[in-house]
Amino acid sequence: MRILLIGLILALFFACGSEKKTDEQAFLERLDSAGAEGPSISEGVIGDILQQIPSPLEISVLLKSSGRKYNGGYLNSPDNFSKYNSSYQKALNLGIYGTDLGYTNIYEQNQDGVKYLASIEELANGLNIGQFFDKETIGRLASNSKNLDSLLLITTQNFNSINHYLQTQNRSNLSVLFLTGGWLEALHIICEVSAANPDNKELQETIGEQKIILENIMLLLSFYQESDPNMASLLNEMQELKEIYDRVIITYTYKESEFKIVDGVMVIKDNSSSSIEITSEDIAAIRSIASSIREKVIS
Amino acid sequence: MKTIIVLVLSILAISTLEVTGQCNSEIFSNECIPKLASGFNFLKTYKVEKGGKDYVEYSYVFTKGTQYMINICAANQPDGIVVSLYDSKRNKVASSKVEGQFIATIAYPCNTTGIYYIQYTFDGSASYCGGSALGFKR
Repeated sequence: MRILLIGLILALFFACGSEKKTDEQAFLERLDSAGAEGPSISEGVIGDILQQIPSPLEISVLLKSSGRKYNGGYLNSPDNFSKYNSSYQKALNLGIYGTDLGYTNIYEQNQDGVKYLASIEELANGLNIGQFFDKETIGRLASNSKNLDSLLLITTQNFNSINHYLQTQNRSNLSVLFLTGGWLEALHIICEVSAANPDNKELQETIGEQKIILENIMLLLSFYQESDPNMASLLNEMQELKEIYDRVIITYTYKESEFKIVDGVMVIKDNSSSSIEITSEDIAAIRSIASSIREKVIS
Repeated sequence: MKTIIVLVLSILAISTLEVTGQCNSEIFSNECIPKLASGFNFLKTYKVEKGGKDYVEYSYVFTKGTQYMINICAANQPDGIVVSLYDSKRNKVASSKVEGQFIATIAYPCNTTGIYYIQYTFDGSASYCGGSALGFKR
């Protein structure tokens, strides 16, 4: 009877012990982010805005589906990772490399992809989030172009896990930088492709549509402008971009949608429409400012 | 001694009940990923479990010219879980419940770039627990 009682008490003790270990880990992780004071708004609100930011992968898919050829020259060199020492630089460039990896994956440029993978691992380890990046599995999938779907799936899941983890650890500032870097790189790539294809209206509209995402990113950065000088400085630079985007007019006309059921799937017919007014001068200015901001980030 | 054992066993039993009674929506979300139709790239998973509100809502910027797919996974699929899509002005674009029938998957070819609200509600749900995945294709 006594043995049974001791066993039960020990079971309870170890159950509590594992919880304690988690707390210790959380404490150590908080130490890593020391120096970054909290945002001026709740982490929950930040998380709600962060989840809206579209995946940069969508831009890469758009480029490939519209017949644009792969150009590794648009991307940040994977060798630059050693330049990034602060958490601010690492998080921003992790986002940039994430977009670059997605671009190489979509175009099945596996040799380039492996280099970005190695740089991503370095930066992720530097931010203590390397555990979420399964380099071994991704490297194996990247070695065979037949694995493209699995490769895209696992990299997207890894990046989603990183974002989720950072938010649960009250390190949303890094999540904001990570997504900002990813978006900035996607904007840079599409601006460069558009410059090489100046008559492509779809690319011009996509550049114009980034106004919506820029607004969200600026809102996110603004939450940290009092507590983080680097993020305040980045926000100022984004302000220049916003001034150009203020000239871009997006008009939206709502019309009730219709639907039909096809093989058990409800397929919606969207009858709403939108138009974007953006001039070639606006596009040139956006390209120039985006390039200038990016250059500072990757240097 | 007996009282202590009963007390300890009760604590263990209550803890176990709490664990088994919880909604593990992550399992359902992950089940939904491979159920996205062929050609769709995975974007996000969403947990669908009843909290303080009558609905669960997420948002995402959809892009013109892109087709999105949202599906629902639950124990007795779709277990009364309805997904509704609203545009940035909160106009309803789609609802997966039509004429009393629950549809587990909706496909939305987007015509207008903007923030969309993906709202999950419960209509006669037994478990109030499920998951969902969002994918896209051009």
